[in-house]
Amino acid sequence: MIGIVVVSHSPALARAAVDLALEMVGETPPPIAIAAGAGDGIIGTDAVKVAEAIDEVASGEGVLVFMDLGSAVLSGTMATEFMTTSDEVRLTDAPFVEGLIAAIVLANAGASLDEVDREARGAMGPKQSQLADQGGAVPAAESEDSASDAAPAVAAAASAADGPAALTAEATLVNPDGLHSRPAAAIVQTLAGIDAKVTIRDVTTGKGPVGANSLIGIMSLGAKKDEVVAFSATGAAAQQAIDTLLEMTRDGFGELAS
Amino acid sequence: MSTSTITLDQLIAWLSRFRDLVTEKQSYLTELDSAIGDADHGSNMTRGMSAVIEKVGAAPATAADELLKSVGMTLVTSVGGASGPLYGTLFLRMGVNAGPVTELDGAAFGAALRAGLDGVVARGKAEAGDKTMFDALSPALDAWDAAVAGGADISAAASAAFAAAEKGRDATEPLVARKGRASYLGERSAGHLDPGATSSTLLLQALAETVAS
Repeated sequence: MIGIVVVSHSPALARAAVDLALEMVGETPPPIAIAAGAGDGIIGTDAVKVAEAIDEVASGEGVLVFMDLGSAVLSGTMATEFMTTSDEVRLTDAPFVEGLIAAIVLANAGASLDEVDREARGAMGPKQSQLADQGGAVPAAESEDSASDAAPAVAAAASAADGPAALTAEATLVNPDGLHSRPAAAIVQTLAGIDAKVTIRDVTTGKGPVGANSLIGIMSLGAKKDEVVAFSATGAAAQQAIDTLLEMTRDGFGELAS
Repeated sequence: MSTSTITLDQLIAWLSRFRDLVTEKQSYLTELDSAIGDADHGSNMTRGMSAVIEKVGAAPATAADELLKSVGMTLVTSVGGASGPLYGTLFLRMGVNAGPVTELDGAAFGAALRAGLDGVVARGKAEAGDKTMFDALSPALDAWDAAVAGGADISAAASAAFAAAEKGRDATEPLVARKGRASYLGERSAGHLDPGATSSTLLLQALAETVAS
């Protein structure tokens, strides 16, 4: 599993961001280390602390570093000169909160450093499309860049699963909030243990398909309660993947009042 | 008395004088930073340099590289803001370049400072006119090199470097910041001296005062 380092000026901000992201994963989160504050309650960052955090979570599969702003980025780059690990260390320009959540979910599912970084950098996608749908903010130019970075990943995953032998099944979303972040995270993590390529399409709205291995992709469907979604799977355990997804959907992803 | 080298004791006196100057000008530096940044440059530099002098006093260095590297690491871990990695890099690279010596001649000190400034540029990606510490340090270093090449002693070279830093610092006032927090302000950053260029000028002032003949 890759390691994740969270660099912030504020220990409280880093802790809260990590706690929020951990809501999405189960008992065994990926290795996460926080390097925040400059000691003695000083708001700031410390490159030595960042280097120690990188070394702490490095286990041979790479480390992804999230930074809030300003000197956090300088301390991050400086830390790569102080660290002792020979792991690949990537400083990501992903959004701090959205990116961290996407990364922790995908890292927990065993994804590679490249995959996790790509997912994290595209993590503004759902918020942008949601606000654009509502006639609100139009994504800024640089945001479009990051959104288009994510799009090929989702599309690639989608086309990979669209083979001639794909198994397909449809189900109606019954939980009150539809495919929001927590069910999306549950899908990504459940499928990580199943040998199948899966895509999801919102039949009601015509959105998708998106790769079911992408938290951001699933969230970007914006699938709501009572909408019909179609799961399509290929691979050795395609049937198991479909059965599992149908069951999870029927159970409302554990969100139905008992 | 004309001097041609900077001794280890003078390096320590230089750092100590820099600590005094940033402490003295703490409110002023913070005031500059509150106009275009996050109002912490004075307190950050004072805290950082106080930690440096405490560390230097507790474990006296026996060579220039050891001293300067320790200064750099102390700044990195105690400053907090962007000046931590930037000043930290300046001193770390100076130390690596200076090597395990107990005194530096004008050319060697200039080369060490140049290595430090190159490190700052690599870290912060600043260019001339971006309204940063580079705008004071770069002309100061050019003036130092020119003075040393022209046969000036350490004292005269330091005076020339300080004068060039002041000029560079003052020239940052009308500039629009292109790096750091101040760059978020765009055009509104014009009309203020850059805090980093101002504290860098204090570094040269401290040097000039320390080696004054």
